[in-house]
Order: sequence, then structure tokens, then C-alpha cells
Amino acid sequence: MFNFLLAPVLILVGSFFDIKKVKFIMPLLAALMFVPLYFSFGKGDIGFFDNLFILDNLARYILLTSVVVGICIALAMISLDKHVKIDEKAYKNFYRFFALFWIGLTVSILSNSMGIYWIGLEMATLSTVYMIKTNSTAFAHKEAWNYMIVGAIAISLILFGIILIYASAKPYLGEDAIKFSVLLSNVNFIKQRYMFELGFAFVAVGMFVKMGFFPMNLWLANIERASFYPVAALFSGILESAIMIGFFRFSLIAKEINYSHLIGFSVLYSLLTLFVVSFLLYRVKDFMRLFSLSGIEHMAIISIFWISGAHFAALLHFGAHAFLKPALFISTGVLESGGKYHIAGALRGYVTLKGRIFAFTVGALMLSIISLPPSPMFFSELYGFGGMIELAKTSHHMLLMLGAITLLLLFLSIIFYKFIEVYQSMKYEGIEKEKKVYLSETISIVVLMFSAMVLLLPQVFLFLKSIG
Amino acid sequence: MIDFFIGLFLANLIVSLFTTRLHMLILWYALNSLSLGIAALLIGQNLQDNPMILTGVVTIILKGFVLPYILKYLSKKFDLKRQIAPNIKIPYTIILVPAVIVFTFYLSEPIIGGMGSHQNYVAISIAAMFLSLILMLEHKNIAPKIIGFLSMENALFLLGISATDGMPMLVELGIFFDLLMAIVVINLLFRKEEIQNV
Repeated sequence: MFNFLLAPVLILVGSFFDIKKVKFIMPLLAALMFVPLYFSFGKGDIGFFDNLFILDNLARYILLTSVVVGICIALAMISLDKHVKIDEKAYKNFYRFFALFWIGLTVSILSNSMGIYWIGLEMATLSTVYMIKTNSTAFAHKEAWNYMIVGAIAISLILFGIILIYASAKPYLGEDAIKFSVLLSNVNFIKQRYMFELGFAFVAVGMFVKMGFFPMNLWLANIERASFYPVAALFSGILESAIMIGFFRFSLIAKEINYSHLIGFSVLYSLLTLFVVSFLLYRVKDFMRLFSLSGIEHMAIISIFWISGAHFAALLHFGAHAFLKPALFISTGVLESGGKYHIAGALRGYVTLKGRIFAFTVGALMLSIISLPPSPMFFSELYGFGGMIELAKTSHHMLLMLGAITLLLLFLSIIFYKFIEVYQSMKYEGIEKEKKVYLSETISIVVLMFSAMVLLLPQVFLFLKSIG
Repeated sequence: MIDFFIGLFLANLIVSLFTTRLHMLILWYALNSLSLGIAALLIGQNLQDNPMILTGVVTIILKGFVLPYILKYLSKKFDLKRQIAPNIKIPYTIILVPAVIVFTFYLSEPIIGGMGSHQNYVAISIAAMFLSLILMLEHKNIAPKIIGFLSMENALFLLGISATDGMPMLVELGIFFDLLMAIVVINLLFRKEEIQNV
């Protein structure tokens, strides 16, 4: 268990040394997380500390995506001071809180206890607050406080829900009722189903707030806008991963309690979010908000797929999003070098080889995120819609599923149109002005793009199907 | 005796909604935490639950004394505004508070139906959570918002000890750890020149 915390702990220790030198070895330290993960593959479910922590295939997959993203963000952070104004103290603190953030999320991802899951999530939330603040503008300061307050409310709602769920099961299962695995295998023993469902509703709403679902969509976009771009990449690549694994685990239990309530609530809430987000996306004028709102869109899609029983599609979509979106956020450091609202010509003016690689990769990322083949998202959506149609055929949720598919297609087409418009503007409009790209960020986004394409390997498909 | 301290817990929270001075608000938070800690001690003693007694002791020390002291220290260090007039006028709050409490008892009826003991405490903890939210909403300044957040954490602690007869010890300690980390982050966030603008 502690092997998995070694990498972030070393980053934390490293942040106390001369950051200008140490920052180059941070990606290597982050890569140490691969070692225990690699040796755990093929060993089935591994429990630690009386099964309070568990490394099953779902945790392995989410941890693997977060490790890749963590390494790439550590790489991209090497050139952070070239793009933004940051003093050495803030730079050090950024690494320090990045490490704490990663420790919190690793604890959450590996946790089999609802309580410990919450503790990890809270730790990550608090660490993020200071990472937002490293940008020393008044706007970032205000948004850091906003994140602190709203994040605290969201996390409190989750804890409130966890207490209710635990209270509903403890009389029958004892103290083990805090464990996801025990709850899932003993759902039939829970007699106070109303209390459980109420608890789940609170947990889901708390998680939806943290994922930026309606009505908190602008809140998340503002925070990502206010902070330095690696923070937004961390949000989309690692924080949302930890929230998602919680949502996956909680919803599997809620599914056994009352599937109709779960599917009705989650699908309608996600569709409402997609409705709002698609129109907001249509109006955005800067990259950060574009990617931020698109992140909310993908979280809603993953939720719908998972709840509809298309687990494989949800996991594939999740993995693809976890790689593609941080890459896009990292690229904003370069794309916005001419100013926040300079979308036109953002892909022009890269004359060097690494510049050309950068421009090509960003173009590919823009098209991948809207699910153009061969993006993994194209396949995940195909499988996801297939799963929804299968559910429509075999259950009494036909109307809901068909309605959801129709609305999803409608909202996705609006988003598709906007991204294509932005892509064309980036490539063909504006004036050509030479731009500088650094090696670290180019490697970072290329690795993330490559990782997304690895998801299409048959072995990965088989692995994901074994989770679902 | 437990009823008395739970009553005191709620009363302190209600009074804090009407407070217009920051240091008094910190005092009400300290008393709120102190009564909660003593209630946890007594419940733990009744249930012969040693982890809950330990949690009660930690609550008294940490939330009853250490956190209020740190908050007061920070308010002086950063010269926070002492006058914290709430946005909601006091006569309206007087109507709002009982309405929230009555509504909460009505709302929690289906939940507490299945519980053996401490039914009213569950309703009070949910009411306390709503009142803490009001405390966060009714102030523009950041300091009362932080106290609202800490009070909300107290409400959740009461829910934990009353609805579940205590969460597992490890979880409780983790929550305390997070609370300390929250204070560290709050300290880092405060900056003299920017506080008035938030």
C-alpha cells in the first residue's frame, strides 16, 4: 500500500530543495508509481489493512491513468515559469501541494472504506485550494476562496450521504458496513432502503457539484480559468478520476437497492447538465473555458453510460478523457501565449520541428475530444449508445433511454459544431506569428495522446471488459 | 445530561447566527464545539465505546480550544474586520431559525423512524447543518464563512455519533487531520492586502 504513496512523498521531499534543479527529476519521481502498479497486474484483488484498501482492476485502471497524467503534468510543469509569472516560493508550494493532492487521491482511489475515500478526497480538495492561489492575481485569490467554500459544501454533502448510508447498513452489517465491498455483497441485508437512497442522493449531488454539473458549471469553469493551466489538467486528469471511482462504486450498490430511482435521477440530472453546458460551450471565447465545459460534458456522458449498464463504454470514455483533456489543458499554456481570447491562428506559427509536432498533436486532440475516429471516444460512444439501446430493449426504461439518446445526440452535435469552428479558426484564420514551444510540454502532450491511442489495443479492451 | 449538552450545542449555533462581532462568533463556535465534545463523551460512556470517548476528548481539545485560538490569532494577525453584520436582517433570522428546525424534524421523520436511539439528535444535527449553511450564506466576509464551514463539520460529527453510534475511529481521526489541514490552507490563503477584496 505504502509503495503507491512513495512517488508523491518523494515529490513532496523534493519540493524542499532548489526547485530550478529538482523540477527536472520530478517526472522521474512520479514515474516510480509505475513499479508497484506493474507488479500488481494479474494478481487479482489485493486487500490491505483488513481490506480497508483494495487494489482491484477498477482501482488499477484508474490509478494507471492518474499515474500517466501525473507524470505528464510533472513534465509540463518544468516549463511553467516560462509561460506564467511565478516566484520560486510559489513554485515550490505548487509542487508541495501537488504531492499532497496526489497522496489524497491515491488514498481515495485505493480505498475500500467510504470514510477513508472521503478523507482522501477532502485532502485533495484542500490541496487544490492552495494550487489555485499560486497564481497571484486577485481573480485567482477570489476563486481560491470560492473553491474553498463551495468545495467544502460539496464535500460535506458527500460526508452527510456517507453517514446516512453507513447508518442504514450498520445495524445489519456492523462496522464493516463502511466498506464498499461488504455493502455490495450484502445489499439484501439492508432493510432501511429509504435512508440508503437518501444518503446516495446526497453523495451523488456532492460529487456532481465537484464535477461541475449544473448549477455549478460556471463555478468550475471560473476556477480553471483563474488558476495556472496545470491545475486545470490535474482537475480533469486526476481529481475527476477519484470522484468518478467513488461514483462508480456507490452507484453499483445503489443499483442493487433501486435501479429505477438511480437511473431516473442520474440520467435526468446529467442530461440537464449537458443541455446547459452545450449552450454555454457554444458561446465561449477562450480555450480554458472551452475545455473546462467540455470536461463537464464528458463527465455527464460517462455517468449516463455507467448508469445505463454500459460499463465498458464508460471506462473507455473515462480513460480517453483522462488522457486527452489534461493534454489540451497543458497546451493552453502555449495556445494562450498571445492572449486569452486569441483563438484565431492559435495553431499557426510553429516553425520548429517540436512546434510542428505540438501543432499537429493539439489539432489531433481537438478532433479526438469530439469523438472523431480513430479517437477512443468514437468507440466508447458507439459502445455506450449500444449499451443504452440494449437496456431499452431489455428493461422498462425504453422511453428514458431513447429520449436520452436523442437528446445526447442533439447536445453533442452543438458541441461538435463549436469545436470544429474553433479548430478551423485556429488553423486557417488570424495572422501567422512565430510561437515558442518547449520540449517538456511537447513530450507531455505527445505521451498523453499516445496513451489515449493505447486504449484501442485489444488487450486493453479485454482488460476493461473484465472490470465491467 | 446528554440532552442538555445537545440543546446547548444547538443554542450556541443559533446565537452565532445573530452575532455581529467576529470574536464573539469565534467564542460561540468554541462553546458549540465544547458542548458537542462533552455530549460525545457522555454518549460514548453510555455505550461503553472507548473510541467515541477518545473522539470526544479530541473534539474538546481541538475544536473547543485549539481551533478557536488559531482563528482568533489569525484574525489579529491579518487584521480582519471585527464588525460582521449579516446580510439577512436579524428579525428575519428570528423567523427563519425555528422554521428550519421544525422543517428538519418533519423532513427527518422517515429516516429516524428506523433508528433505535438518539432519534432527536439526528434531526438536530440535520438542522444544525442547515443553520451552518445559513451562517455561511448570510455573511459577505470570509471569516464567518470559515466558521460556518467548521460548524457544518460539527453538525456532521453529531450526525455521525447519533445516527451510527460513532463512525470508525480511523475515519474520525482522518476527519480531524483534514480539519487541521484546512486551517493550514486557510492560513496560507489569508493575505492582508487582499482580504478586504474577497
